Amino acid sequence: MKKRFAIPAVVLLAAVAGGVWLAKHHPASPFEAAEKSAAAPDLVARGEYVARASDCVACHSLPDGAPFSGGLEMATPMGSIFATNITPDPETGIGAYSLADFDRAVRSGVTPDGRRLYPAMPYPSYAKLTDEDVRALYTYFMEAVEPANHPNRPSGIDWPMDQRWPLAFWNMMFTEGGVYEASTSEDALWNRGAYLVQSAGHCGSCHTPRGPAMEERALDESSPLYLSGALLDGWYAPSLRNDPNTGIGRWSEADVVAFLKEGRNAHAVVFGSMADAFNNSTQFLTDEDLRAIAHYLKSLPGDPERDGSPWEYDPASAAALAPARRAEVPGAQTYATKCAYCHGADGRGRAPWIPPLAGAVSALAPEDASAINVTLNGSARVVAGGVPDAYRMPPFRAQLSDREIADVLSFIRSAWGNSGGAVAPEAVAELRGPTDPASSQVIVLQMR
Amino acid sequence: MELRINRETYSVQSEGDTPLLWVIRDELGLTGTKYGCGIAQCGACSVLVDGVVTRSCVTPVDSVEGSEITTIEAIEADETGRRVVEAWVAHQVPQCGYCQSGQVMAATALLRESPNPSEEEIAAVMVNLCRCGTYNAIKAAMADLADGGERG
Amino acid sequence: MGDLSNRTLTRPELSGGPVNLSRRGFLLASSGAAAGSLVLGLGLPGSRARAQEAMAPGTRVPAFLEIRPDGTVRLLSPFVEGGQGVFTAMAQIVGEELDADPATFVVENAPPGADYQVMEGMPGFRITGGSLSVRTSYAAMRRLGALARAMLMTAAAAQLGAPVSELSTEPGRVVHAASGRSLGYGELAPAALDLPVPDPESVTLRDPAEFRWIRQPVKRLDVYEKSTGKAVFAIDAQVEGMLHAAVQHAPRLGMTIGTIRNEDELRAMKGVHSVHHLPGAVAVVAERWWDAKRAAEAAQVDWREPEGAPEPNLRHMPADFSTDAFGDALERAPGDGEEAEAKGDAPKVLGEAETVVGATYRAPFVNHAQLEPPATLARFNPDGTLDLWVPNQAPDMFQADAAKQAGIEPARVRVHSPLLGGFFGRHFLYPSSNPYPQAIALAKAVGRPVKVIWSREEEFLRDRLRPMAVTRFRGTLDADGLPLALEAVSACEGPSEAISGRDKDGKLDPMATEGLTGKAYAIPNVRVAQIYVQNPTMLGYWRSVGHSMNDFLYESFFDEMADQGGQDPYELRLRLLAGNERLTNLLKAVGDLSGGWRRGPFTAEDGSRRARGVAMASPFGSEAASIAEVSIEEGEVRVHDLWQAIDPGSIVNPAIIEAQVNSAVALGLSQVLLEEARYEKGQPVARNFDMYPILPPDRMPRVHVRVVESGAPMGGIGEPGLPSVPPAVANAVSHLTGQRARRMPLSRLSFES
Repeated sequence: MKKRFAIPAVVLLAAVAGGVWLAKHHPASPFEAAEKSAAAPDLVARGEYVARASDCVACHSLPDGAPFSGGLEMATPMGSIFATNITPDPETGIGAYSLADFDRAVRSGVTPDGRRLYPAMPYPSYAKLTDEDVRALYTYFMEAVEPANHPNRPSGIDWPMDQRWPLAFWNMMFTEGGVYEASTSEDALWNRGAYLVQSAGHCGSCHTPRGPAMEERALDESSPLYLSGALLDGWYAPSLRNDPNTGIGRWSEADVVAFLKEGRNAHAVVFGSMADAFNNSTQFLTDEDLRAIAHYLKSLPGDPERDGSPWEYDPASAAALAPARRAEVPGAQTYATKCAYCHGADGRGRAPWIPPLAGAVSALAPEDASAINVTLNGSARVVAGGVPDAYRMPPFRAQLSDREIADVLSFIRSAWGNSGGAVAPEAVAELRGPTDPASSQVIVLQMR
Repeated sequence: MELRINRETYSVQSEGDTPLLWVIRDELGLTGTKYGCGIAQCGACSVLVDGVVTRSCVTPVDSVEGSEITTIEAIEADETGRRVVEAWVAHQVPQCGYCQSGQVMAATALLRESPNPSEEEIAAVMVNLCRCGTYNAIKAAMADLADGGERG
Repeated sequence: MGDLSNRTLTRPELSGGPVNLSRRGFLLASSGAAAGSLVLGLGLPGSRARAQEAMAPGTRVPAFLEIRPDGTVRLLSPFVEGGQGVFTAMAQIVGEELDADPATFVVENAPPGADYQVMEGMPGFRITGGSLSVRTSYAAMRRLGALARAMLMTAAAAQLGAPVSELSTEPGRVVHAASGRSLGYGELAPAALDLPVPDPESVTLRDPAEFRWIRQPVKRLDVYEKSTGKAVFAIDAQVEGMLHAAVQHAPRLGMTIGTIRNEDELRAMKGVHSVHHLPGAVAVVAERWWDAKRAAEAAQVDWREPEGAPEPNLRHMPADFSTDAFGDALERAPGDGEEAEAKGDAPKVLGEAETVVGATYRAPFVNHAQLEPPATLARFNPDGTLDLWVPNQAPDMFQADAAKQAGIEPARVRVHSPLLGGFFGRHFLYPSSNPYPQAIALAKAVGRPVKVIWSREEEFLRDRLRPMAVTRFRGTLDADGLPLALEAVSACEGPSEAISGRDKDGKLDPMATEGLTGKAYAIPNVRVAQIYVQNPTMLGYWRSVGHSMNDFLYESFFDEMADQGGQDPYELRLRLLAGNERLTNLLKAVGDLSGGWRRGPFTAEDGSRRARGVAMASPFGSEAASIAEVSIEEGEVRVHDLWQAIDPGSIVNPAIIEAQVNSAVALGLSQVLLEEARYEKGQPVARNFDMYPILPPDRMPRVHVRVVESGAPMGGIGEPGLPSVPPAVANAVSHLTGQRARRMPLSRLSFES
C-alpha cells in the first residue's frame, strides 16, 4: 500500500478558531464564463503533457484498474482516504464538471458541491498552474480519457475528523494562491524550470519539510527550506538543493537531466516513491523541460550548516570486508554477502546500472528511513522508455532481522566516508510493520 | 566491447547493461556458469573478476571491460582451482551439481587470497545456496584444502 | 582426474577467439547425454537381439548397454539423475553382475519405451520418484547385468574356441584360465550384443556375500563433471539454429491475453525475433535469452479474467485468494472427515474420556525451489519428428503429452532427459507448470529450434505447491499416562487427487494422510481422517510428499501427549514400540549415535541453553529416527546437531545414503525453519529467493548418520531422511521454550532468546 501524508488534529483546532462563512466560500475561477467548445488536438496533447508532468496517474490510477478511475489508498492516522475517479464519467467521475469546476478542484481544492479536498491532492502546488495549462488539462481529461464508471470509495475517517470544512482554514493559512509569476531577474530557462518544479511537478510535496499542520513550509525558492529534504511516509526525500551530502550538490545539470530522463546517473538510481514519479512522470518530459528543471534546481543554494562537511571517499573501509576481519565489524558480513555483489566492496556500485552507496544520500542523511525502507522492501522496477531495468533491488525483510538490517546499514552509513550514522534495530522494526515489499513485477500505469 | 575471459579475448555485441552471465552463456556459449535467481541471491553464477568472486547475474558487462574474467571452464588451468576440483571429487561434494560451478569458483577465490583460511573465513565466504544441502561436504572439502591440500 | 574427464561429454576446448558457437552447440548437444536415443536408434538395424520382439522390460540388453572398444560401458538408466546418485547406483548394480567396474560406466537417461519400464509391480509405468528407483529395479538391473555377461561369454567362447563352461570373467574381461587367454569386453561387444538375449531364467546371480561394488561407498560417476561445469542440464542444451524464448505468465492461472498494448514496441526491441500469444502467457523469441526476457517483462498486457469452467485438472486462481485466509478456512472446515485409517474405537473412547488433549496444527504450502529454473528445448526435424530436451521424471508420460501438444504420433517424439538441477518432485508431468508446451508451440510457430527458459520469477509464479494442511488432533491418556486414543482429522487435499482428480469410487488419496497413517506406535484406538477441501492452487509432489508435513504434525502432537502424561517422549516411543524389533533398534541407534538420549534443557559449553527433540517416520518403505539439538539465538532457532538413524532394509551405496540423508535433513530443516509459499490477492508473495529464503549454509547443522540394515525388504533413500527432521526440531524447540510450535515454518513464531 502506498501511503501519503497525514492531517493531524491541528487542522481541527484551526477550524474552531474560524468562521463558517469562509468554509462555505466558493473560490473564484477565471473560467466562470467559459463555454465548452471542441478542443484543438494540440490542446489535448498539451493537456496530456501537463497530466504527465503533474503525475496525476500516480494516485488516480491503479495497476489493474481503468486509467484515472481512482482507488489508491492513502493512509492517514485518522483512517484511509482514497484517490477519486477523475475520468469524464458523469456519474462517478468528473464528467459533469465545467472547466471552472475543474479549475476550482485542481487549483483550489474545492469540489463543485463545495467540499474541500484533502491536501493529499497537491492543490497548493497546482494553484500555480497557468490558466492555459489548466484548460489543457481539462480538455485532456474530457476528450482523451475514457469514462469509467467506478464509484469513489468513501474515506475511512470517522466523525468528527471526517469533516472537511476546516480545511478551508488550512487553505487560508497555508496556500498562497495565484499562478506562477515569472521572476524578472532570471532567464526563461530558469523560469520554466521554476514553474514546472513548483506547479505541476509538485516536487515540494515530498522534498520540502512540512510544518505541524502538515503544510509545506515553503512553496518557492524564497525560503532556504524549500526542497531542502523531508521525511514522508517512510522515505526520506532528499534535498534538491546544492547540498553535497543530502542534496544534489555533487551533480551536474546533465546528471539531473539523466536522472529524470533515464532514472539513473553516476550518483544514484531512482528508488522508493521517486521510482513511481520517474516511471509515470519525469521521463515523459521534454529534454528542454528537464534542462529547465535541472537549471532551476541547481540554482538553489545549499546549506553547509544543515548539510555538514562535504563527503569525501575513504577507501579504508574495504579492509573490514576481508573474510578474516568481517566478524570484527557488525554488519560487515551481511554487507559482503548480501550487498557487495551489486554495490561492490568499494561501495561504488556499477554506475549507472547499480548505484553507489559510497556518498549516497541515504548513507549521508541523518534521516535513515530511506536506507531502512529500501533494505526491507527493495524498490519498484524502474521502467525507462518502456523497458524495465536489468537490475532490481530485492527486499531483504524475509532474510534479515531488524538487528541485521540495523547493523548492515550502520556499516554502510559509516563506510567509505559516509557519515549518516548508526541505525537502531527499533527504527527498522518501526518501518517493518506498516510497509510492504516492492513487487518484482513491472508495473506501468496507463493514461489511456 | 572486448572481454578477457579465461585468458582469451572476445569481442561481444551485447548492450552494456547486459548481465555478464548472459553474455557468457548465450553469446559465448560457455554454459558451465549457471543461472539460478538473477538477483545475486544464490551464487550459482559466480565467476572470478580479477580474482574476486563475482555474481555474474548482477554484473553489467560494461563494468568488467578490461578485467580478467575466469569461468568454471578454465578452473583446472589454475593450480588452486585444480586442487579445489580434486577436493570436491575426493569429498564427493556435488549432488544435483547445479550450484557447484559457483561453489568451486567461490572456494578458489578464497584459497587464492588466503591459502590457509580459518573455519571462520571459510564460513564467511562460502555462502552460496545449495538446495541439495551439500553444505557439510563443502565444509569438509574446504577444511582439507585449508590444511594444505589433501589430494583426492 | 584424467581418467574421469574423457568419460562423459566434455565441451570442445576453448581455443582462440570467438568461434562459430551454434556449430559448437550442435556438436555438444548431439554427442552427449542429450542425444542418447539417437545414438541408440542408429544401432538398431541388423541385430537379432535388437530386433527381438516382445521382450520383458529390462531384458533387451542392447537397449541398455553399449560397450565401447575401450571397454567403457554406456548404460541407459530407466531413472533420471537429479542428484540422488541413481546413475551410480545403476552402474553398481549392473556392474556387479556384468563384472565391470562401475567406474568404467557412462550412464545416461534412457529414452521412453517399454524396455525401460522395469519397475517391479508397476507394469507399463516409469517414473523417477517415490524413492522407488533402486528398490523396484534392483532385481531387474542385476539380471540385466548378468544377461549381458552371459552374452559376452558366449561371444568369447566362439572367439576363443573354448566352451563357456571353461570361461570366467574378471572386471571388464572374459578369461580362459586354462589357456591364459582373455578378451576385453570392448573387443567382444560388437559380436556379443548381436547375439540373442538368453532366457532370463538361465542366468544365476552373484551371491551377495561376494559383492564387490554393491554395498560399497563407490564414488559417484558424475562428480567430476559437476565440479568443473561440464555437466549439461536442460537449461544448457544447445542445437544449431536455436532461438531463445522467455515468457511473462498471466498473474493468475486461467487468465488469458486480452491485448498487448505495446506489442509493436516489443517487436522492435533489440534482438527480438517475434512475439507470441500463448495460453496464459506472452512469449518473446529472440536471438538471446536476455533480450527475450527483457521484452517479455516489458510486455504490457491486459489480462482477461478466466471465462467458463477450467479445463480438467486445471484451476483458475481466484483474484482474492490468500493463503492465510485459506488456512483459516481449513481450520473451520466442518465435519469429522473421511476415514483413512482406524483401529479400535477412537471416537468412542475420546467421547467418554474425562480429559482430552486437543491441538490444531498447520503445515503451509511450500515451493520446490530447485536451483535450476525450468527450461525446455524443442526442435522439429525435417522428417516431422520432434526432439525435446526436457527436465522430467517420467519420459514416457512427457512423450505422450508432447505428442498431443505437437499433434504427432508419440513415436515421433524423441525425449531427451538431461541431468536435473534438483527436482524434489518438480519435474513430473505438470503441463501448466512446465515450459515444454510453450517450447513446442514456439518451435512450431517459428520453424526453428526454440529453448524456453523460465526466469526465477516466472518459476515461482507457476510452480506447483506441496499441499497445505490444517490438522485437528485429539488424544486421551490412560491412568498411567499412556496414550489410549488418538484422532487426527486433516483438512487438506492430497497431491494425487489434485493432479488427477478425485477417485470416482470415493477412494481417498493416501498421500493426503501418509505419515498420519501408518504409524507403528501401540495406541489401541486410532482414527485418521481427511476432510477433503479442494484447493484453488495447483498442487504437486514435494520431496517425501505427504510425509513431508504429516510426520511433523503427528510427531509433534505425539510429544504433546507425552508431556500431558508426564512421559519422556523418547521413552514413551520406545515403550509404544515394544515388540517391534526393527523400530526399537532404530530408535536406540539414534539415541546411541547422539551419545545417549537427553532431552534437556541443558547448558552447552558455549553457555547457550539447549534442548533435544526426537521424532520418527516410516516413509517409502524405510524407517528413520531423528534427534535434533537446538537453541534460540537472537529470537531465531539454531539447530546445532542432527542425528539420524535410517533403516532402508538393505543398501547399495552407503556413501550416497549418507549424502542423501544430509540432503533430506537440509530440506527438512529448510521447511521447518523457513519455508512457506504465501499468496495474497491471488498471487504469490515470493517470486524469487529474496522473499522465499531457503536454508543457507550458516544454518546447516552437523549431521550424523547411522545406516541400519535390518534386512527388511529394500526401502527408498531419496526421501525417507526428511520427514522425521521437522518434528525433531519442533519438539526440541517446544521443550526448550515451553511454547508449543504447532505450525511450520518456525520463523513465523517469535521466541525469546
